[in-house]
Amino acid sequence: MVRYLIGRVIGLIIVLFIVSIIAFLMMHSVPGGPFDEEKNPLPPAAKANILKKYGLDKPLYEQYYLYMSNAIHGDFGTSFQSPTETVTDLIARTWPVSIQLGLMAIVLAFVTGLTAGIVAAIKQNTWIDYVVTFISTLGITVPNFVIALWLLLIFSIQLNWVPTGGWPTEGGEWTTAILPVITLALGPSALVARYTRSSMVEVIRSEYIRTARAKGLGERVVIMRHTLKNALIPMITILAPQVPNLITGTIFVEVIFRIPGLGKFFVSSIYLRDYPMIMATMLLVALLWSVTFLLSDILYTVVDPRVRLS
Amino acid sequence: MSEETKKRFSRRKFVALTGGAVAASAILAACGDNTPTASTAATTAATSATTAAGSATSAAASAPTVAAVATAKALPADAAGPEQQVYVTHYDSTSDFTTIDFYESVYKRGGAISDILSDPLVRLDKNFKTVPGAATKWELDSTGLTWNFHLDPNLVWTDGTPVTADDYVATFQYGADPKHAWDFTWFFGGVVKNWDEAVAGKVPTDQIGFKATDPHTLAVTTVSPAPYIPAMLLYSNPMQKKALAANGGLYNSNVATSVSSGPYILKEWSKGNRVVYEANPKYMGNNKPFIQKVYCIGAAPSTDFASYQANEIDYVLGSNLSPADNTLIGQDPSIKNQVHPQPNDFRTDYLFFDTKNPPFDNIKVRQAFSHIVDRDSIIKQIITPSQGIPAYSFLMPGFPASNSQGLKDIQNYDVAKAKSLLAEAGFPDGKGFPALTLWLRNEAPVRVALAQAIAASIKQNLGINVEVANKENKTFTDAMNAKPTQIKFGMVSYGMDFLDPYNMLSVWLGGGRHNWNNSTFNDMVKKAASFTGDPAERIKMFQDAEKLLVTEAPGVFIYHRYQSDLYKTYLKGSELEPDQNGVAAIHWPGFINYDKVIGSLYMSKDAASAGRKLPK
Repeated sequence: MVRYLIGRVIGLIIVLFIVSIIAFLMMHSVPGGPFDEEKNPLPPAAKANILKKYGLDKPLYEQYYLYMSNAIHGDFGTSFQSPTETVTDLIARTWPVSIQLGLMAIVLAFVTGLTAGIVAAIKQNTWIDYVVTFISTLGITVPNFVIALWLLLIFSIQLNWVPTGGWPTEGGEWTTAILPVITLALGPSALVARYTRSSMVEVIRSEYIRTARAKGLGERVVIMRHTLKNALIPMITILAPQVPNLITGTIFVEVIFRIPGLGKFFVSSIYLRDYPMIMATMLLVALLWSVTFLLSDILYTVVDPRVRLS
Repeated sequence: MSEETKKRFSRRKFVALTGGAVAASAILAACGDNTPTASTAATTAATSATTAAGSATSAAASAPTVAAVATAKALPADAAGPEQQVYVTHYDSTSDFTTIDFYESVYKRGGAISDILSDPLVRLDKNFKTVPGAATKWELDSTGLTWNFHLDPNLVWTDGTPVTADDYVATFQYGADPKHAWDFTWFFGGVVKNWDEAVAGKVPTDQIGFKATDPHTLAVTTVSPAPYIPAMLLYSNPMQKKALAANGGLYNSNVATSVSSGPYILKEWSKGNRVVYEANPKYMGNNKPFIQKVYCIGAAPSTDFASYQANEIDYVLGSNLSPADNTLIGQDPSIKNQVHPQPNDFRTDYLFFDTKNPPFDNIKVRQAFSHIVDRDSIIKQIITPSQGIPAYSFLMPGFPASNSQGLKDIQNYDVAKAKSLLAEAGFPDGKGFPALTLWLRNEAPVRVALAQAIAASIKQNLGINVEVANKENKTFTDAMNAKPTQIKFGMVSYGMDFLDPYNMLSVWLGGGRHNWNNSTFNDMVKKAASFTGDPAERIKMFQDAEKLLVTEAPGVFIYHRYQSDLYKTYLKGSELEPDQNGVAAIHWPGFINYDKVIGSLYMSKDAASAGRKLPK
């Protein structure tokens, strides 16, 4: 087990290293730079000054070497789009907001999805099942920014119940969290509901459930202890990838609801050619995904005794 | 590893891979979806910070005297109470927003309310007339090259020190400093003495043509006579020399180091969230505000209309309204009187060519293209009349030297003429003409539709295949500015920086934005620019130059943009009343210290009952 873990951690470092090279090469191969020439071309001297200011006049390999040697010492540079703070400060300021939003959405998605899935499985092929199926299909297929706009239109503009945006820890009222959390949770919730339903249906038909029933166990015990527990195992596969997705924030939901989280930086950094921030966000995502997979592998051995890590 | 585990792993890997692909496409989608808004922001930030509201002449009445200190400006009779004198707008949270100072960066002001922490030398009134700002008067000396601007001696910084000509000089020197690498250095290039040399690092920045001849006189020396200098020095909000030296150019990005001599002080700036300004109690200038508190909240432009409907903001920039929003607004009688169409920065959208290489090195080809654009139906079908008017020339009606009537017939819509010109150029019915790509700079959907209509017209009438490619902003700019240019055929817009024909026409000078170099045109524009004689004669010279431009057709002019801003009916002020052309709006550049809107805008009594949700 320990050997396995060491191997995986080494693999993770190699992955991060490769991601850093690919990201670095790709961002520098895109035309344009962190300078702007919107109206008129800059005089060549001014352009040379800007390149020098950002260290972009050096050869690529040297820029990469400088970046990595600083990064290894914990210095990820200063964001071009927020030069008054380091990349680390910027992430420390914005990420907690995205994590709060993401965690609330995960909890909501899991609770509602699971409940709906169980009910649908027990009441298989009844109207309840069809309603759940319909809503889940909607939740999976309609993009969350469309849902966000619907919710905004109905609850903020028509009914005037909740503000159109803001965030509780950033000067907004607690009600500002309601719409973004629901928006973000709807997709994963639908996914959880669908998978819960189908794996419940599968387990319900298995021999050991028949045995449990034959032993005279009550319906509640059969469902909660025997069916659900085993039906939940595939959930690790479904939910785990949702975690890094949700806690790094999403540009659409954060931007539409004016949430000052990390999400928008994944896109704006690329758009603004904010090289240090592009690198930091790429590495962060790579790290989160790697760690998530490692954790879910370990979790498998805990919930399913048939799985062994070696 | 058991067989079972392998299977599970591979299944999970599959999920991971597909999940990854979904995530990747989401990011791509986000890119595609997000960039238009960011570009809008960049362009608006570039030309202005039109994020805001109105103005009133009573500002001029409250002349700065020592007695004015600490006395709040008396509100007009129909004004709401002080608690309602709060102005709330959005800025574009998806754009680059690191500074509120023009001389730190022009393109990183996020489209937020900026440049209100000090007074520029001059301002614009609603008729776009240059009026005194921090300079009470100015005159040209006998050399014809040096302008003396006399500063109001009463102006003070919030730390108690007086505003002097040294602050202005330090600010201009900072702009020219090669180490700073300011993104707007081209602005004074070729105009102010030694500016280009200083930017290139050939002379120290203290050699540039901005000098303090005494504490309250700023001397501006130009390379050649430049009658447009007062108009150009709209962009002259000083930074404090002391703060600049002590804390660097971003001192106003932090409340603790911020210092103001302007109508407002920086109260809060929570990054990515909001900027809050409060009226400066020590302000001594001539733009004293009624509005006591200004909130500028970070939001995606696409959400502005929703927030406006929910009474959370007072103003929406017209360019942030989608065609769908505008349709809704057009159908809703209750909101119709809140729409204020205005020419904004006199922006013209046009097609341009690489005139140094085939096929567009042939003037007949360019002229053929100029006759193929059916402007009237484009305005009617695509742009809609509230958002623009047809353009057959570059300078929009209302802009100095505009001659739209006189030039109307040169690039008129005439398919037969286009066909014969193309045949004369050696491409009858488009035979042998290469397929084209029409580059767009990250345009909004409405202008992509416009480009596609033009492409269809070219295909149908001239038999030439045109593919429309809406490129990401920086990719486009990089390709356009590359020497030699990488764009053979493109569409882009230009809006003014200051009210002089030289500013607009200089974009067509050789070596500039476009690959067209006509020495006659260059001479005409430069000669007119530095002409110090009869102003009417000067205008005529510019008109002759524009006629040559339209005839030579390095560009095909499509339409002049109108911007229809939205603001609540309780926003009042004399600067919002109709101007000499009957336009009642918060004129360009908006709620910013470059005009008199700040000194004029107030909230009328209706504001109290309008259901406003003011931020805390």
